[in-house]
Amino acid sequence: MKCRVCRGPAVIDVRRHNAAFCRDHFVVHCREQVRRALSDHHMLGPDDRVLVAVSGGKDSLALWDLLVELGAAPDGLYLGLGIGEYSDESGQYARAFADARGLTLHEVDLGADWGFTVPDAAAATRRVPCSACGLSKRHLFNTFALEHGYDVVATGHNLDDEAAVLLGNVLRWDVEYLRRQAPVLPTAPGFVRKVKPLVRLGEREMAAYCVLQRIDYQVEECPMAAGNRHLRFKDVLNSLEDSSPGTKAAFVQGFIERGHAYFDDDQTDASPDLRRCAECGAPTTAEVCAFCRLRVRATRS
Amino acid sequence: MKVLLRNPRRELEIAGPITVTALLQRLELNPESVLVIAGDELVARDARLDDATNVEIRPVISGGEGTAS
Repeated sequence: MKCRVCRGPAVIDVRRHNAAFCRDHFVVHCREQVRRALSDHHMLGPDDRVLVAVSGGKDSLALWDLLVELGAAPDGLYLGLGIGEYSDESGQYARAFADARGLTLHEVDLGADWGFTVPDAAAATRRVPCSACGLSKRHLFNTFALEHGYDVVATGHNLDDEAAVLLGNVLRWDVEYLRRQAPVLPTAPGFVRKVKPLVRLGEREMAAYCVLQRIDYQVEECPMAAGNRHLRFKDVLNSLEDSSPGTKAAFVQGFIERGHAYFDDDQTDASPDLRRCAECGAPTTAEVCAFCRLRVRATRS
Repeated sequence: MKVLLRNPRRELEIAGPITVTALLQRLELNPESVLVIAGDELVARDARLDDATNVEIRPVISGGEGTAS
């Protein structure tokens, strides 16, 4: 297998592009895909202060590295979730990455700062841990960005994440979630802009990027995510991708370019009527926001 | 050769030489879901792995409900 660019020995193939790359040209490929995502979707302005949501996993560390290379000068925020050794190790990878490159990593710890952990929340609500985890991340990354003057939160959602979420939303015909699934969620009162610069890159590419750039990351799967619905959707999509390369990209890019318009506000009249949370001031449709309700339940038990 | 697998972490002994594609077929692994690392180097699907190589098969699938790793 030879590199599509230089004809040297390839180290990875990307079948949906019918291409293989050597190390150097694979790194160029990843940068180009992120540059195109940033440009096509107008993700970053020239003076934007960017905050990367860092977990210590491959996607967020690769994203941070790529945004630094592309000149966005982002800082990172690591959120400690309190998932035992897994969280301890994840934090170590995030800190080591930032220290080695002289980057600024902020940290928020659910347990120390908010009095509960993801396992606490899962037990209190009797729902899957990923639900409390996702809710806490969305709330705390947004709140931190607002309080510290960041314009944008960049997350490591990649093509596979978006394909799996899209499959789940379509299987349930969840119109409201389909409306909100986009590479960019624009700035709104109480919300900073959210961007997904890895939307053109699969997670196999992100893992390869980390290996080739010698970025150490948390390889082990989150113990609380094992066997969840999201991972099952990814398995199904990868089976399709193996027999028909390009399926995931066609699914996601087709939705972004042609499908999403059918779920816009004007079509669904789904614009929520937002007010300020009585506890924390965050935008919410209820008197108290979902994060504050979660915190009360998790700290009561 | 020694082959390290993860999630759960375990080690297998497999006779070489063998190509990456054949190794993944033998282990019934989807090539879309893993990377193959020989020694410290990433290797493509047509790479031939000899008997003395330490091989890691690293899963690339991760994540909770819509949250990025």
